[in-house]
Amino acid sequence: MQLLIRAAHIVDAASSVDGQVCDVLIENGLIQQIGADITAPDNARIIEEANLHVSPGWVDLRALAQDPGFEHKEDITSVCRAAAAGGFTDIALLPNTQPVVDTKGTLGYVRRMAEGQPVTVHVIAAITKKAAGEDFTEMIDLHHGGAVAFSDGLHPLQNPDLLLKTLQYLQPIGGLLMNRPEEQLLTRFGQMHEGVQSTLLGMKGMPAIAEELIIERDLRLLAYVLEDAGALASGSPLPSPPSLHFSTISSARSVELIRQAKQRGLPVSCDVAAHQLVFDDSALAGFDTNLKVNPPFRSADDVAALWQGLADGTIDAIVSDHTPQDAESKNLEFDLAEFGVTGLETLFGAVITHNTELSLGQIIEKLTIRARQILRLPTVSIAEGQPASLTLFDPAKQWTFDRSLSKSKNSPFLGQTLTGRAIGTVHLGQFHHVV
Amino acid sequence: MAQSTRQTALSVRHLLGIKDLTEADIQLILDTAKEFKDVINRPIKKVPSLRDITIANVFFENSTRTRLSFELAEKRLSADVVNFSASGSSVKKGETLLDTVNNILAMKVDMVVMRHSSPGAPHYLSSRIKANVVNAGDGTHEHPTQALLDSFSIREKLGDVAGKRVAIIGDITHSRVALSNIFCLQKQGAEVMVCGPTTLIPKYINSLGVKVGHNVREALAWCDVANVLRIQLERQQIKYFPSLREYSLYYGISKQMLDDLDRPIVLMHPGPINRGVELTSDAADSTHSIILDQVENGVAVRMAVLYLLAQL
Repeated sequence: MQLLIRAAHIVDAASSVDGQVCDVLIENGLIQQIGADITAPDNARIIEEANLHVSPGWVDLRALAQDPGFEHKEDITSVCRAAAAGGFTDIALLPNTQPVVDTKGTLGYVRRMAEGQPVTVHVIAAITKKAAGEDFTEMIDLHHGGAVAFSDGLHPLQNPDLLLKTLQYLQPIGGLLMNRPEEQLLTRFGQMHEGVQSTLLGMKGMPAIAEELIIERDLRLLAYVLEDAGALASGSPLPSPPSLHFSTISSARSVELIRQAKQRGLPVSCDVAAHQLVFDDSALAGFDTNLKVNPPFRSADDVAALWQGLADGTIDAIVSDHTPQDAESKNLEFDLAEFGVTGLETLFGAVITHNTELSLGQIIEKLTIRARQILRLPTVSIAEGQPASLTLFDPAKQWTFDRSLSKSKNSPFLGQTLTGRAIGTVHLGQFHHVV
Repeated sequence: MAQSTRQTALSVRHLLGIKDLTEADIQLILDTAKEFKDVINRPIKKVPSLRDITIANVFFENSTRTRLSFELAEKRLSADVVNFSASGSSVKKGETLLDTVNNILAMKVDMVVMRHSSPGAPHYLSSRIKANVVNAGDGTHEHPTQALLDSFSIREKLGDVAGKRVAIIGDITHSRVALSNIFCLQKQGAEVMVCGPTTLIPKYINSLGVKVGHNVREALAWCDVANVLRIQLERQQIKYFPSLREYSLYYGISKQMLDDLDRPIVLMHPGPINRGVELTSDAADSTHSIILDQVENGVAVRMAVLYLLAQL
């Protein structure tokens, strides 16, 4: 395949042509030439669009494929289709399937199903069997079997000894523990953020302190593990990648805790779900179950703090937290409905539409360079001779999200007009056209 | 009450909560209820207002007095009435709420009175069906007709709600009566205090503009009306206080406590009373109490709500 991308704005902090408008010629999956007015080879496909931007391929750190086990909600093929439509070349899948990805067998199933898909699938394996928080999985074996990180995914680690031992056990292989922080004894029966809105709606709240307590606890445990290993050199910043990653943080205090930990040099990273940057708890006044998520939408002040955390680098990545749910799980009374929304197709549009804090370069860096560093993936850069794994997009394009490629339709953005859309991806020698 | 500006129709199609009502809506309902109270005290208690209107009482949660009160109100308005009760959630039986109600509506029902354990269940329903929906209690959210009948009873006893001090005492966290009463009383210009153990008062309740207290004697001394709530043991999924014994020792109200006040207050309770827990028997049966008036007024207020919604 020969592909010539005409007059594209290059957005790649790691590239020498960052910020320039160039032609990019791709042959056999490699970036062959970057320059002005490249002569098109005879059989080359030419991509020429107004306001065309190109960056390294986008990476999502947190999506649920529901396959195996819940294929009526989503499967590997449909999640990959949705991811490609959202501009992603790489996604990391949560282990919360049926069965859970807790053995090399299930890991192998997911990896086999992912072969030939338009995006590269990275598998996060469970820390404990059945993600039940009790007995360890064979983590080293799973690591060698291709697991990219370890997490119990939808089930936050509760037992501090388990977290401590996992951090210790993963150290020799340089493994990554990802955990969504939530003290579940404080959120039992909770439906939404605890605050004025939950009081007005008569719903049991999930207080922000349930998230913040676990972040404080886990940061101390991480420091404790590193002291033992003599790895916490005073004052000198530790080399990335991080050993502990907090998934989908949602409160202002959580941002501040991680900001301080990074200043102390702890090897820690975190992400935020794109929808958390858009909605606050006042959106729940109509009991719309497509706004029922965990962590819950918090206050407007928390949303502002999340944007601030992105701008100052405290929050490393923006994730889709794609959680497909069928109508039978969502078209219900609020407290009976499942948590979660789909998000792969709308992540970029949601962020661009609501962004007032970040430059385009900063946003792209969080979807590319930082996300790859966290998952220990090789850097992809726009330079001659490099493999072509690229996302093509138009950050000013207005579009209406009226058709989802996910099997599930539980998106709060359905029917909404967003600004910013992927145009296509170049990945594994193929061009995938979105629009 | 003969102002020319008086509102003659409600601003809402459904009665989902007091939060959605204007003060004029509330006054209209209470004024209309006054007329219906006169009706039900006449030798012939029935009026033909809702002839040819069919109302389904759909109760997904146990209820005796509310269901009875609605049914009586409907019958006195000459509506046709069907009752559906299911203990627990319909989902557990395999049928969704929407399917259950659509089945009932397929039988040509004009209005649905629903009680449900999920906050927002009537809101969910009202956005998906054509019939008028009346919320007869949705979990720990709202119970609008209870708040309206409480206001009606205060108005009947004290002349006006505006400027009165009302203490709501008991389990505020699990009470839909408390939340609806706070909205209803504040919209009419009353002052509200909530009083109970700290664990049974929502952390953010003071953002609603209510006073918060933890001493029952102080609350009684402060208020004109004490609205005492039942301990909702069935709605408490985790432990909030050690024992009913300790609760009644420190938050229970006796006749002696009422007699010791330097001025008489009005005692209310939405029922059913746990005698010996939140109220001693002699307090519940004292001259302070208007608990049975509340029950009578409930029928008149519900007649007013159904009548006014049927006009839209």
